[in-house]
Amino acid sequence: MPTLGRDILWRAIGGQWRHSVRGSVLAAGHQAGEALVPVVIGLVIDEAVSREDPGALIRWIVVLGVVFAVLSVSWRFSARAAERASQQAAHRLRTELTERVLAPRGGAEAGRLPGELVNVATEDARRVGAVNVAFSAGIAALAGLIVGGVALLRVSVPLGLLVLLGTPPLLLLAHLLGKPLERRSHVEQERAAHASGVAADLVAGLRVLKGIGAEAAAVERYRRTSRDSLTATLRAARAQSWHDGGMLMVTGVFLALVALVGGRLAVGGDISVGELVAAVGLAQYLVNPLSVLSWANGEFAQGRASAARIAAVLATPPAVTGGAGGPPGPVQGRIRLREVSHDGLRGLDLDVAPGELLGVVTADPAAADSLLRLLGRSADPASGTVELDGTALTALDPDGVRRAVVVAEHDADLFEGSLHDNVAAAAASPASVETAMAGAAADEVAHALPRGAATVLTEQGRSLSGGQRQRVALARALAAAPPVLVLCDPTTAVDAATEARIASGIRRTRAGRTTIVVATSPALLAATDRVVFMEGGTVAAEGTHADLVRDSPAYRAAVLT
Amino acid sequence: MSRTEEPQAVERERLAVASPAQVRAAVRALARPHLGTALSGLAVLTVATGAGLLTAPVLGHIIDLVTQGRAADAITFPVVWLIVIAVVQGTLTALGTTLVARLGESMLATLRELFVERVLRLPLGRIERAGSGDLTSRVTGDVSAITNVLRDALPALARSVLTIGLTLVGLAVLDWRFALVALVAVPIQVYTVRWYLGRAVPLYAAQRVAVGDQQQQLLGTVGGAATVRALRLGETHVRLVGSRSQAAVDLALRGIRLMTRFYSRLNLAEYVGLSAVLITGFLLVRSGQVSIGTAGAAALYFHNLFTPINILLGLLDDAQVAAAGLARLAGVAYGERAPKTVTRPAIPPGPPVRLSGLGYAYQPGHPVLHDVNLDLAPGERVALVGTSGAGKTTLGKLLAGVHRPGLGSITIGGTSLPEPGEVAADRMVALVTQEVHVFAGPLADDLRLARPEATEAELCAALDRVGALTWARALPQGLATVVGEHGHRLSPAQAQQLALARLVLADPPVVVLDEATAEAGSAGARLLEAAALAATEGRTALIVAHRLTQAASADRVVVLDRGKVTESGPHEELVRAGAGYAALWEAWSDKRLQPDV
Repeated sequence: MPTLGRDILWRAIGGQWRHSVRGSVLAAGHQAGEALVPVVIGLVIDEAVSREDPGALIRWIVVLGVVFAVLSVSWRFSARAAERASQQAAHRLRTELTERVLAPRGGAEAGRLPGELVNVATEDARRVGAVNVAFSAGIAALAGLIVGGVALLRVSVPLGLLVLLGTPPLLLLAHLLGKPLERRSHVEQERAAHASGVAADLVAGLRVLKGIGAEAAAVERYRRTSRDSLTATLRAARAQSWHDGGMLMVTGVFLALVALVGGRLAVGGDISVGELVAAVGLAQYLVNPLSVLSWANGEFAQGRASAARIAAVLATPPAVTGGAGGPPGPVQGRIRLREVSHDGLRGLDLDVAPGELLGVVTADPAAADSLLRLLGRSADPASGTVELDGTALTALDPDGVRRAVVVAEHDADLFEGSLHDNVAAAAASPASVETAMAGAAADEVAHALPRGAATVLTEQGRSLSGGQRQRVALARALAAAPPVLVLCDPTTAVDAATEARIASGIRRTRAGRTTIVVATSPALLAATDRVVFMEGGTVAAEGTHADLVRDSPAYRAAVLT
Repeated sequence: MSRTEEPQAVERERLAVASPAQVRAAVRALARPHLGTALSGLAVLTVATGAGLLTAPVLGHIIDLVTQGRAADAITFPVVWLIVIAVVQGTLTALGTTLVARLGESMLATLRELFVERVLRLPLGRIERAGSGDLTSRVTGDVSAITNVLRDALPALARSVLTIGLTLVGLAVLDWRFALVALVAVPIQVYTVRWYLGRAVPLYAAQRVAVGDQQQQLLGTVGGAATVRALRLGETHVRLVGSRSQAAVDLALRGIRLMTRFYSRLNLAEYVGLSAVLITGFLLVRSGQVSIGTAGAAALYFHNLFTPINILLGLLDDAQVAAAGLARLAGVAYGERAPKTVTRPAIPPGPPVRLSGLGYAYQPGHPVLHDVNLDLAPGERVALVGTSGAGKTTLGKLLAGVHRPGLGSITIGGTSLPEPGEVAADRMVALVTQEVHVFAGPLADDLRLARPEATEAELCAALDRVGALTWARALPQGLATVVGEHGHRLSPAQAQQLALARLVLADPPVVVLDEATAEAGSAGARLLEAAALAATEGRTALIVAHRLTQAASADRVVVLDRGKVTESGPHEELVRAGAGYAALWEAWSDKRLQPDV
């Protein structure tokens, strides 16, 4: 696995070498053709126009046609090859990044926002892929330089040297002029992005704004941001204009210099008139490949930075290491925690019998979170063991663990697709989808939607209300019908009557299989076989919900107020 | 649930799109304040381009001097001219493009401000009918499409058009026949552009959709990575991302094929035009009508046209996209009717509220509320309970003025709500729902949206009132901490506390809370209930509650069942009455509460 940005970058080119080589060769043909056009114009002037030779005119017009045909066809196929290489390399990186993020052992999201990761998988992958285009364009520019340079030197050695030695400092000057501009335009782009970000943010929070009548304040704020952005943009645009104007001036003066030297040589009879025309044309042309080279250099620099970000994601250490395979034989569903200490848990001992419906109550979110992470092996305990049917989870592959133990978190995401697709995503069988829908009262959700269960949920289910989302997510977990199911606060946004129905739905659907419900809702807890009440990271009391309500004031405070 | 009653089956009423005539009018209106800039920019660029075009005849003159066998020093004078031309052209181009950029950017800034302002002032009901996706894509996609075209294309476009126009003039000055034959390329170019645009615009639109889909898929998959792993959906999701990415790749490759075919055709036009100019030069020189230098200059002129023509024609599809975006922005900025602001006499805090005979239907024939009569005493907090689909949210939205009642009336402190097409300058009723949004930026700025002139002390007091001051002070930079997207992430409960703190700052006389405590986990819900209680203190409040503890703490509970008020009274009274609410309460707690507790 590559860990360095450099490796990623070279692999992006190397992996596409067929396209890259074809693209480069053809692009070189194109540049050579572009370089030859002014040469042929000069030849037409010299051999046909000056000598008034119609035969030469026809001959050179045909040659010009061949040059155009070659440059056109070469560009056509080189651009396609380079784009193909670029797109495929980006696609491959995107897939690889997705695989890394979704790898059962996890870890890639640690410390990174989803938006950041998506940006790496789209923008950075694209940038690295685009290095292929820069690569073949760079090779082609070199070819153009060589052809143009040779043609010029053949016209006249001093003139050729003047142009070939004169253009690099010209570009260096452009580069130096552009440096502060680049920095400034970066700042400006950020400001501009900020303005559009603020607009999108205000629109996203529109209901909230209107709810409290903050429209005028928001309009005022946006106007300020927009004006700030305008000022920054204008400053950058002015800098850009003077940079471009300056370059125009410098190349114009350079061209005058070439005309001066070339004109004197022509007057002296060292070169012909046509050669003078060609030399001027070539001097104009050569600025092109040189600027392509500096552009390619910039693309490589950006590609390197992007490749480093990609490498960083790919090289993130996994959240859990070690363990292989799934649980041996049919899973009974016996869960045993011994002396488990982890964030929020202190020496927790917990036994869940096969087929038991257990409620876990804790007022500490960290403890609940740790319990869920340990049971699904998203994390390994700092100390102590978590066992499934007597096998330590650390001895199993995380994916193997999740074949037996499904943890449905409170904030589980729904995915794009129909409601039915979401519920059936991990379903054990088509039949389990239906029972799960009923058990989670998600059939009522489907009923309220325009196209029933076939309604497409957009933007991670945000077209649904919080309670509807919860019910669909719960149905999905129930439909998976794993030997062990861990649910966390599955009904916090559901009304009381529906919640009571869901509680019995869970009981019915999960009959005979181990289920752990981490919640503080009395309706859910009343439906469990046994409740464990945790305080200070360990078990403080256990019994039925009714017993605990009767006997433990702390429990009453946790679930009934 | 809060949105089950929404008209999801109803056709979306998309926001307005401006007609071409409206777009032209909008552009004129935007340009009017910058007319001076526009004219001077155009004039300066014209002179700059004209100066640049003098290069070719001067070079032609040098060629003539050479063929006439003049002394080497004769070259010096035209070379000085070349340098003067370069300096003038460079300076004026810089000045001209600066002016053009100022014109474009200022117009864009005004347009986006108008757009955002109009969007923020649109009635919520109108936005809900249009769907927020339409709005979001306009404010992000369209604005950036136009920005890109303006920033990169407008200066290039202006210069290209001027170069082409003036080059033709230059050719005509050399000899009118050069200009005439240069036009033989035009039919090929016209044909090529029509051929290209017919294909490019739909293809690039499809490409943008595919890239958007890919982005959406990645956001869903990466954002839900924990869920994907828990349910072992990894392979499915890698495949989904792969197929979306492949679709985008395929379209990009189709795009490049189209583009290369486009430029190949333009190459043909270049060749035909260049050959025609060269042949004309040959014929004119042979018949002694022009000098060799003129023929050379004409060929160089035409050669120099390649780049601007390619730039110009290549920009046409971007221009079309930008025009479509402009129509969508101008449609909202100029086409949507904003409600009229009306001033009303100030209402004291906690006024009486009367809802009488309210009826409402999202779809004709399917009423959600029937003849609802409800009086809220001054400063009374009324909890609205009922099962999903009972009409709780709809009733809240009617009171908040999001929807207009189909039947019946609403009065607050004796005055009725603003008429359709009107909005009160001072909002009488605030609405806080379970939909939370943390505005990106410093926490203090977020709060100040509710009261721009609030002092730091007032902000702290508001946070303190909803129990959020402790954690807010503990943030890395306190109230200056950047929160929201790309910033410090607040938990759902904290975000909801923030919403309640904003409510305190906005200080409306009447409040509707719609399940404002629902998004938090069970531990957070209790905290939020306390915060909601504190935030509604002293106001008349309608609280849509799903946690019955919240109902129990209200002054009065109103039960809504299938759009009708079935029970109304203090919590204890309704529990004693033993009807529907008592059953709900039992489901909620009584069954598990022993009688002696």
